[in-house]
Amino acid sequence: MTLLALERVSRRYGRSSHERVVLRDVSFELDSGELVAVWGLRRSGRSTLLRVAAGIEAPDTGAVYFAGRKLDGGGELGSGIGYCQRAFRGAEGGIVLDELVVAPLAHGVRPSAARSRARAALERSGAEHCATRRLNELDGAEGMRVTIARALALRPSLLVIDEPTNGVDLIERDGILSLLRSLADEGIAVLISAGEATGLSGADRALSLADGELRGSRLPELAPVVSLHRQASA
Amino acid sequence: MRSPISWALLGLVIQRPSYGYELVQRFERTYEDALELSSPSQVYTALDALARRSLIEKLPADDAAPDALRQPKPHYGATAAGVRGYQDWLIAQVHEERRRSRLFARQLAVLAPRAALAVIERYEQACLEEAKRTPIATADHTSDDGASGLASRLACEEDRLAVGARLSWIEYARREFRGLAAGRSRQR
Repeated sequence: MTLLALERVSRRYGRSSHERVVLRDVSFELDSGELVAVWGLRRSGRSTLLRVAAGIEAPDTGAVYFAGRKLDGGGELGSGIGYCQRAFRGAEGGIVLDELVVAPLAHGVRPSAARSRARAALERSGAEHCATRRLNELDGAEGMRVTIARALALRPSLLVIDEPTNGVDLIERDGILSLLRSLADEGIAVLISAGEATGLSGADRALSLADGELRGSRLPELAPVVSLHRQASA
Repeated sequence: MRSPISWALLGLVIQRPSYGYELVQRFERTYEDALELSSPSQVYTALDALARRSLIEKLPADDAAPDALRQPKPHYGATAAGVRGYQDWLIAQVHEERRRSRLFARQLAVLAPRAALAVIERYEQACLEEAKRTPIATADHTSDDGASGLASRLACEEDRLAVGARLSWIEYARREFRGLAAGRSRQR
């Protein structure tokens, strides 16, 4: 089922001679359980695409639909979409578990349940050992796992992650990609950006973005049609 | 010696001395679909070619545990010239890769801009497909000790870095051909 759909989305920054078209008539769809990676060079618009897809930024023209609902760009976090930026900044000196409890609490989850959710999310993202650490003590991979855990604590059906492998040690990078792959396999739709082709590994679809144009398979790949008749007679 | 099969086989003999049938098996295990044998006899032909060039040599039979019932299996080991030759051949691949890339660029450049852009589009699709298919190193994969695990990881990383460079080049080429196409349409 199509969970996210961008329909002829355009986005531009600046005015007149300084205008830069970042997204040009971009359309694509994302299903539940799919991992889609968008590759692009610097200033290709890949971060803008993700912010628009997450409903944080409104397109100038076109529309974004999430679970059949039109997003207005006002930020829909906590309503099924988890958005992860490269750097997760919390309260000064706060410990990881406390930071992760904040969002569920803000969404009306009881304190004990919010704490359980935060712990479960840390465990799911392979960062349970970070629970009592301070945010500024985390390395690149730990920071990304905690960022993903923070999004998971709100039980999203769509995860949007801007450059999940950026700033992550080479040796840890595949662990992050495996985590994203496994989340998609559990049914979460995952949309990521990648500045390097290494970030495309394991994706169901790899797209490229340049000059505001999105290329690649913009629609989910259909499962092969299997003849029931032939199966039954086999 | 031009055959990549022969050089690949020399690499296996350098890794450890071996005999014909075992080399066929190790060849298939090590190189998988990167280099395929059309038939096992290719290995025996290549062994002859390597021995004629003194890159490998037959090792003396192990007299300590002779098995009178079995036919002796000649083991081959690499000579010093074989080890040096293999290293030189590996380095020569860098030039070969570069030659292929330059040839592709020149073959693309002979096309009209719009035709070249269509090829670039398809080339990009092929690169994106390749990039997403490159496996993620799983826990099992990284814990896979020995040369085969290392070879897989090295090959994966090389694939990923190479496809990244290709995608960047595609962007550059697309801009060049677009500029050319725009210039031509203005001339009309």
